[in-house]
Amino acid sequence: MSPSATRERLSPPVTATQVQLFIFTVVCLAAFVWSWIFLGMSFSGITSSFGDVSRLVKRMVPPDFSNLSNIVDATIETVWMAVMGTAGAIVLSFPLALGAARNTSPHPTIRYICRTVISLTRAVPDLVLGAVFVSALSIGPLPGVLALAIHSIGMVGKLFADAIEQAAEAPREATISVGATRRQTTRASILPQAMPSMIATALFRLEINIRASTVLGLVGAGGIGVLIQTSLRSLDYESALGAVAVIFVVVTAVELLSVRIRSAILGDAAALSQSSRHGWFSQRIIARDTRVNRKSFETRALSPPWTWDRMFSTATISGFLLALAVAVLTIDIDWARTVPLMPQIITVFGDLFPPDFTTVRSEMVTGIVESVVIAVIATGLGLLIAVPLSLLAARNIMTKRILSTVTRLVMLAFRGIPELIIAVIFVSAMGLGPVPGTLALTVVTASFSAKLFAEALEEVDAAPREAVLAVGAGKIQEFFASVVPQFMPAFTGHFLYILDVNLRSSTVLGIVGGGGIGFLLLNSMRVLEFQTTGAIVMAIFGIVLAIELIGNWVRQLLR
Amino acid sequence: MQVINTVADSDVAVKVTSLSKRFPNGTLALDNVSLEVPRGQVLALIGLSGSGKSTLLRTLNGLHAPTGGKVVVQGTDVSTANGKSLRKLRHHIGFVFQQFGLVGRATCMENVLVGSLGSLRGPRLGVRSYPVALRRKALEQLERVGLSEQAFQRADTLSGGQMQRVAIARSLMQEPSVLLADEPVASLDPESANQVLDLILRIAREDGMTVICTLHQVELALGWSDRIVGLRAGQVVLDQMNAQLSQDQVMEVYRATGTPMQFETESALQSA
Repeated sequence: MSPSATRERLSPPVTATQVQLFIFTVVCLAAFVWSWIFLGMSFSGITSSFGDVSRLVKRMVPPDFSNLSNIVDATIETVWMAVMGTAGAIVLSFPLALGAARNTSPHPTIRYICRTVISLTRAVPDLVLGAVFVSALSIGPLPGVLALAIHSIGMVGKLFADAIEQAAEAPREATISVGATRRQTTRASILPQAMPSMIATALFRLEINIRASTVLGLVGAGGIGVLIQTSLRSLDYESALGAVAVIFVVVTAVELLSVRIRSAILGDAAALSQSSRHGWFSQRIIARDTRVNRKSFETRALSPPWTWDRMFSTATISGFLLALAVAVLTIDIDWARTVPLMPQIITVFGDLFPPDFTTVRSEMVTGIVESVVIAVIATGLGLLIAVPLSLLAARNIMTKRILSTVTRLVMLAFRGIPELIIAVIFVSAMGLGPVPGTLALTVVTASFSAKLFAEALEEVDAAPREAVLAVGAGKIQEFFASVVPQFMPAFTGHFLYILDVNLRSSTVLGIVGGGGIGFLLLNSMRVLEFQTTGAIVMAIFGIVLAIELIGNWVRQLLR
Repeated sequence: MQVINTVADSDVAVKVTSLSKRFPNGTLALDNVSLEVPRGQVLALIGLSGSGKSTLLRTLNGLHAPTGGKVVVQGTDVSTANGKSLRKLRHHIGFVFQQFGLVGRATCMENVLVGSLGSLRGPRLGVRSYPVALRRKALEQLERVGLSEQAFQRADTLSGGQMQRVAIARSLMQEPSVLLADEPVASLDPESANQVLDLILRIAREDGMTVICTLHQVELALGWSDRIVGLRAGQVVLDQMNAQLSQDQVMEVYRATGTPMQFETESALQSA
């Protein structure tokens, strides 16, 4: 026992981790306050801004669907772009993931290279990639597809590699010990374990890409986005709402469907039967599977029976392949003309070098600072709204079911409109500048992070909660004593993730006039100053990389 | 040793009368259970999983509301208590869980301090938000369970036996007159299990606590308690002071089928 024990032991020792976390918190708060002053934000300003927006929205009602066939065509193109982009990402990510995962990588150097490639693709926003590809291949859906495919590698490749690394070690050892080659081992023992998670990842990315492809049109890369911007610019507000409504329906439907399919693939029938809501349905599935299994045993069948899980996965994969085939055959891409143009992509990327940081230096600095400030405010304000919303939405906190359901629906409704579309609407209502961009991003952040927080809250272990109630604590005491400490790591993790996402988004807000570096980026491409473009892309890259490093540092503190 | 059926009311710590509990999904977990536990008695509650042991314990401190019958603990009717009065009652009933119920990321000290929430107003977050006097008391409780060295270690860095001792220290913060323990050693290895049970017994004797503890291991129940109550399908099928009991008699409770009637004849045959 240390001599100071008796005196100091009543307070916890201050650890280096705590000091670092404290500094991080103070820096975050200071950054928020400074950003707030920098942009000249005020609560009365925000209120009047939302007044402007609601006046615009009123002028958009009733939506005009006279243009419906155009809208539907553009929507279909949007969806096909997302399907093709996702397929491209899967094809490109798979070998990268095998190279990047610890248990399948042939060599540490290859592992390092694959990891680097995966994180690099994530660092360049899809709209930026889209704009670069448009200048190489001219406008149309193909540059959009390529942008989605390459940008998606960052997420798909990483999650694929995680899924592969999470595969249990024992089956791999067993397969190696029967004398299987590396490839046989991967196929026989690792892929079967990683497959459900990989399918779920691909579906999730498809959902994200459908959102993303609705706005690629803003840089000429195909899809419905350009339709909305044109309608708003020509003051045809009712048509704009018509297009937004269609996007909303598609995005929401895809999200609901994707959530269902993913949970069905990730949780087997037995897990489903435990939740009483699906009880009847899953009982039937289990009964049917038992029957099918017995039959294949009795008939000495040599191929696996069609159990529910197998049918479901097969249907999902075939559905996706079918959609892909239709997309490739019907999308408006002149393959014969564009495929020979592919090498130009490399030329355009070459034109970005060497980056020219000097020509528009001061505008660049202003743009970057503005982007960071927008992201900081949107994250801070968004979290301020998201935390109470998530408490209302989490079913283990808000036990009044009707309230949590209503909150969830409101959150879902806001998530149904992609952020750049919201930004376009805010900019139309309030004029060009960083404030409408910030507020648009805030709205998106609030609904998106409220969903993440609600999920994290619902994962809080119930055992300590019961124990705290059992000592006679009140509900609020119980919340602070058992829920808050359990929720903090998830909160901080999501906070960093959201800040990261918002930084990426704020670099492209300028494309629709929402402030930040994006305007300069698009402009430099329009005037064909590609070396300036190169410099801006490098700068965006730098910001994103910096926040990733900060994120890794804080996450390691929380472990 | 106390005589069970003829104690004065003031000496009764827990009194359960025709208690029933039916869950919303239709399961009848407790079926007309009556039980009287005198002050200072150490009672072991045995039975198969799903026989209603945990449900019975949880109705005693109001974590489950009964669907029929009456529960009186320390003179307070738990079945009608609500809100403030229920919290006040709970503050004087310790509860030890099989899965410990510790907040893993919090320090042992903070987990122990949680036990004093019932005597405090308003929420608390972090050790420093508790009064110094309570912190000193928490440290004393940790000392009692032999873990004062680990006071500022995170709870999830401890072994299972240590975690359960922290949970016991948390209950001691409540200065409970009744300690309920739900399978306190089911998740522990035999060595730690013995340590934890010995600790509970020693503290119970020192502080004159009434203990009701569900257990799976019959030998432990026999060696450790004053009295054994067996539950099967929500009904009391055995209730005796354990000086009068043999291991075989107790094992009867774990028979999957059979009625209390059969049990009596069989045990009569065995003793013959």
